[in-house]
Amino acid sequence: MALPQSRLRNLLAWAVMVLTVCPVGVAVWLGLFQGDSPCILCWAQRTSMMLIALLGLFILRYGPKPQYIGMAVLLGAFGVFMALRHSALHLVRDVGQGFSAPFFGAHTYAWSWFTHWTILLTIGVLLLLLRETGVGAWSAELNRTGRFALGLFMVVVGGNAFQALVSTGPPPFIGQADPVRFSLNPRHWVWSLEETAGKISLRGSWTIPKPDPTALEVDPVPAHGPLKDLPVLTVAGWEKVSAPLEGALTDLAHDPATGRFLAVTDRYDVYLLDSTLSRVLHHVRLDPGFSVDLSPLAGAAFLEGDTLAVLSTNKSYALLRPDSAANPGAEWRHFLATDGAVAELRLGRFATVRARQMYVLSLAYDPAARELITVTVPSPRQRRLVVSRFARADFLPASEFEPHLAPGLAGAGGDSSLAGYQVTGAAVADSLLYAISAAYSTLLVMDLHDRTVRAAYAVPGLTRPTGVAVQGSELLVAQADGRIARLERPAP
Amino acid sequence: MEFLNFLLILFTAWLIWRRPQRERLAFRLLLVSCLIMALLFFIGTHTSLVPGVNI
Repeated sequence: MALPQSRLRNLLAWAVMVLTVCPVGVAVWLGLFQGDSPCILCWAQRTSMMLIALLGLFILRYGPKPQYIGMAVLLGAFGVFMALRHSALHLVRDVGQGFSAPFFGAHTYAWSWFTHWTILLTIGVLLLLLRETGVGAWSAELNRTGRFALGLFMVVVGGNAFQALVSTGPPPFIGQADPVRFSLNPRHWVWSLEETAGKISLRGSWTIPKPDPTALEVDPVPAHGPLKDLPVLTVAGWEKVSAPLEGALTDLAHDPATGRFLAVTDRYDVYLLDSTLSRVLHHVRLDPGFSVDLSPLAGAAFLEGDTLAVLSTNKSYALLRPDSAANPGAEWRHFLATDGAVAELRLGRFATVRARQMYVLSLAYDPAARELITVTVPSPRQRRLVVSRFARADFLPASEFEPHLAPGLAGAGGDSSLAGYQVTGAAVADSLLYAISAAYSTLLVMDLHDRTVRAAYAVPGLTRPTGVAVQGSELLVAQADGRIARLERPAP
Repeated sequence: MEFLNFLLILFTAWLIWRRPQRERLAFRLLLVSCLIMALLFFIGTHTSLVPGVNI
């Protein structure tokens, strides 16, 4: 398996030349003659490749010492990380929407990934081919191939240095996120430090706190909310879900056709309840740990055709159906507990654009439009309230909007005032979306046609509201403790 | 800074070629280049150090 030293040295010299010419030399040629300048992340990955090639030259000159091999492996591994971090900015965009010009069908960040991965594989192969006695007997003289590899390396590094001087400038200037087309005309040179702006963060815009449907830290006093002088909607009466539930209630839906209720809890339990909220007709506990990742359940809705929809805070959903003929063996993998008469139809995730990187705590179904509706929970990084609608037919987004305030509902911050609310439950009736906010105990009434908040009501006396259901002329506001507040539904 | 780093790499390669007895200095310069590269990369990603995807 092992090769004689002379052949191994030639193999290593060729590896250095391939690494120097193919990714880096071609990149320099593209830069100097095609104007294709690298971004700051590309520069780092290009440097990493040159440093690994330089370590190859170290080994050619001084032998395969552990510190050189170890350093090459470290740089290869760090290069894979850099390429992954860089690629993550662009891989999930739509078809053809890469960054900068593609080369042989792939963009530079993808080539960097491939190159660093190949480097690690090559190091493994070369080590396999190294004789155990080869380290001590290593000749310090560079042979002809080695000298050529070294000369080629210095030429390519020189080209890189020249390109870097022109496009990024001398110290302390550094590369840019959006690089400028290469030009030898100094009037077109842009030397900047703009990349140093901004706070240091581990996850950036992905640092979104996960809301707990039953323990939101919010101010419940309506008068403290961003919308002032709201009319009061008095609780007409209280009742309680008397059926035994596991965990805290996180949403409630009502089926006008059968009178039944659908309830979900923070322990992934789904209950189909009778019209008196006292008897469990069906029960399952979803298994959140496999397949689609389910965070705590926070939304429930009846779809047509006896289909039940439940939603978790990360916009993942499950469709269920009571089915006395359900196969217990086939359904076992879906549920941690079941009464044996429920089938899982589908697990999926809602994709959003305007509501991206935001969690939700509510689910409603609009039977007229045949759309499911969610309302986002604003966060410090995403301070807006977004209503997202998904087609029942394929569960893809149908529309998204940030509602406007109707005349007469002036908040201190205009439409952005709505970002102060935390909608924890929603239901549709007469093309109006009724959304209850745990923050400031406020009911928002939105017109789904003109996308305005038509009215808002203070609902004093609520404690941790987690859901809302429509029952005829009443609204039922569910609380985490299982109590239900009955309100008169405001007239359309 | 990228320019400075490539000059360092170029000088290190020259040491290997013309002054092979300065092996320790050459390797130390390589380590400095690695640190500058990592620093520049982290400056470029400092507003989100790890990939902006579900991890």
